[in-house]
Amino acid sequence: MTMTRDPATVPAPDGVLGRVLRGPDSRAASVAVPVGAVLAALVVGGVLMAVEGVAPLSAYGEVVLGVFGRTRGLIDTAVMATPLILLGLGVAVAYRARVFTIGAEGQYIAGALAGTAWATVGPPLPGLLLLVSGLAVAVLTGAAWSGVAAWMLARFGASVVITSLLLNYVAAAALAWAVRVGIRDPGSFTPQSRPLGAAALPDIPGTGVHLGFLVALLAVPALAAVLRRTRFGFRVEVLGAHPEVLAATEARPARTRLAVLALAGAFAGLAGFVEVAGVTERMTPAFATGYGFTAIIVALLGRLRPVGVLVAALLLAGLTVGFDEAERVFIIPSTTVGVIQALIVVFFVAGDALSRRPGRRRR
Amino acid sequence: MIAAALHGIRRSFGSAPALDGVDLELRAGEVHALLGENGAGKTTLMRILAGLDRPDEGTVEVAGQPIGEFSPRALRERGVAMVQQHFTLVPTLTAGENLALARPPGRLRPGARQAKRRVAELAERYGLPVRADVPVERLSVGEEQRLEILRALDADARLLILDEPTAVLVDSEAEALLRTCRALADDGRAVVIITHRLAEVFAGCDRVTVLRRGAVVCAGEPVADHDRASLATLMVGTAPTASSGRQRVPGAQVRLRLDGAARGRLQPLDLAVHAGEVLGVAGVDGNGQAELEELLAGIAAPERGAVTVDGEPVPVAAPRERVAGGIAYVPADRYRRALAGPLTVADNLELGRGPRHRPPAARRQARAEPVLAEWDVRGGGPAVPAASLSGGNAQKLVLARELAGGPRLVVAAQPTRGLDPEAARMISERILAAAADGAAVVWFGAELDELFAVADRLVVLAGGRATEPFTPPYDRGAVGLAMAGGHAS
Repeated sequence: MTMTRDPATVPAPDGVLGRVLRGPDSRAASVAVPVGAVLAALVVGGVLMAVEGVAPLSAYGEVVLGVFGRTRGLIDTAVMATPLILLGLGVAVAYRARVFTIGAEGQYIAGALAGTAWATVGPPLPGLLLLVSGLAVAVLTGAAWSGVAAWMLARFGASVVITSLLLNYVAAAALAWAVRVGIRDPGSFTPQSRPLGAAALPDIPGTGVHLGFLVALLAVPALAAVLRRTRFGFRVEVLGAHPEVLAATEARPARTRLAVLALAGAFAGLAGFVEVAGVTERMTPAFATGYGFTAIIVALLGRLRPVGVLVAALLLAGLTVGFDEAERVFIIPSTTVGVIQALIVVFFVAGDALSRRPGRRRR
Repeated sequence: MIAAALHGIRRSFGSAPALDGVDLELRAGEVHALLGENGAGKTTLMRILAGLDRPDEGTVEVAGQPIGEFSPRALRERGVAMVQQHFTLVPTLTAGENLALARPPGRLRPGARQAKRRVAELAERYGLPVRADVPVERLSVGEEQRLEILRALDADARLLILDEPTAVLVDSEAEALLRTCRALADDGRAVVIITHRLAEVFAGCDRVTVLRRGAVVCAGEPVADHDRASLATLMVGTAPTASSGRQRVPGAQVRLRLDGAARGRLQPLDLAVHAGEVLGVAGVDGNGQAELEELLAGIAAPERGAVTVDGEPVPVAAPRERVAGGIAYVPADRYRRALAGPLTVADNLELGRGPRHRPPAARRQARAEPVLAEWDVRGGGPAVPAASLSGGNAQKLVLARELAGGPRLVVAAQPTRGLDPEAARMISERILAAAADGAAVVWFGAELDELFAVADRLVVLAGGRATEPFTPPYDRGAVGLAMAGGHAS
């Protein structure tokens, strides 16, 4: 009868994704698997390039040179990693709580759009105030955009996976409308917003990297401290472990979920405005580049830990920047880096599954 | 004709024997009642007969042929089908599609009309109406159960096992089900009804087998030879009852009060539990204990009435307020309500009561050490995941947290379930010590002997209603009869 069964052996309610996210049992495997996945993906990518008639080692050499062999390479990597770090941190918090949002892209767009609208057609404010208030608007908008999914879950039981994904398309449509109609620069021939002007982010002195990178770097230890040392961080862990335990002992899961999603959205909104203020300086239809989806890879590769996210974001940004450079020298299809990124994910998931074969399964 | 015979069946889970050499003989043309308390081994025995589990020892014969391979498919081919307590239908598919899933007519998914016709034919043949054109999730529980039975009959089951079939039904549906069972038996099938309800044994069964703690205490005797009192005694045993021997504090204040509190299956209930008192709650699963447990612990709000501790309502869905209000909760299922398995032991001690800003992990763990030592929680210290603890140590961890700070009310649901005797003894002692310190204790128990030993008063929940409290010395027969009275009509 049921009472003779030890509840400890009954697995927690868990999907395939949940099992992958939980990570392997040993600390060694939790680092070895992502590292191995990256190496394996590079090997397969090399084989593909060899098939295309490119010497893989030379190409990879060029990739490394593209990042480290020139000043611009490191700058570009840092600039590209900035939104990935911020987005990845938000996704990591949500996934730690087993709230599977895939809406970072939409929150990123919504935050950037709202911040830009505030800074370009809002009240005229002096430079620094405009920048800070623009950031605040972007953060709040991202949080609210993400909160819609939390609300729909609490109110209607709608899956966050679905609602957050669909909200991405709403944000993309809003972007398309805004740059053509809503906040269009009347003086411009092409559809785009006015430039941010005074609200643009200055560079970190002595480098070619905008201040947003510093913000992203500081966000890493800040988030780590929040997760480790606050009640909210504790609730994130308990929610991820078992929502019913959270409900019976700590807090309402719906509230914690809302807070988690709002925080993830806040990071995404921040990432969006930082990208506008630091890089593009205005909104264009091409603003949506899929960083919000890459951020999911970043969070997973980084094992949902803030420091891991930082490393993974720098790695993926470096790969992209390096391949951009290598493409100028070799005839490599521009999709190669995308293939390698996808292979990293495949090997990563497979590696995790393999490191948890029966016999070493966690109880 | 013998439909199935089981000989010397033994089965244990871990160290606990669930079945200890059970013999059972089932005849075609009969409705056989399998009676026993929770945990007596009824379901385990029938799962073996249905191929859902295998015996450690013993033989099973179906229609005279010994069974070599225990798998659902093998037994289904021999004509054995079991309708489990928790239905196994796919909620988004229609009745016909569920039937087709169990026995596909071909490689293709059948058309809607074809599937519907199949249900209609079966429903008419056996007199079990089921709506065929809506997803199963929109059927009533009674319909779902009829569909489960139809699915079994569709596979031409000669031996049909129903596990607690009336637990989810209203009285009229339960009566109809018993009539159906009778008709199936008249048709030459063997029917087994697993139950702990005496009323339906007398209403619809020919013979009765009673299990107690994994052993047969009444082997297939005709129901007509028994009355309710004799079967109740067989179920719960006749051992002399140990009394708690504790002194109740005279004139102690009322701590916990229920005024017509009702929710779900639990009918409006009035109760008062005094400081220092242990109130035992007995009853078989599904008679309102889970609902009462949730009301007392503030998991859910009463639909009617009120639950108060020292005059203040129990905070609902606000666990930190519950803890601050001095309500300790030891849930029946600790890994669902009390412990987060992947988190460390130290973190689990912190659930519901830690500070807003948490000290570093090392200091948190250092603080947990003396608590673990005091409660003798063994299994690797504060930094290991709680899921790695054994049952006894995990439960001690829960108690260590919940009883900290002198609670006013202790809600303990089967606190010693599945524990080794040493851990069980310690946990009982500590809960009684909390009562001695002035807490009101509500102790939900599955084992009467334990309840008799700890409870100052005892109520039995049956069919969602509480009996008048029993007081020591307890009359085992009367308590057993009250427990089996659910669904009495």
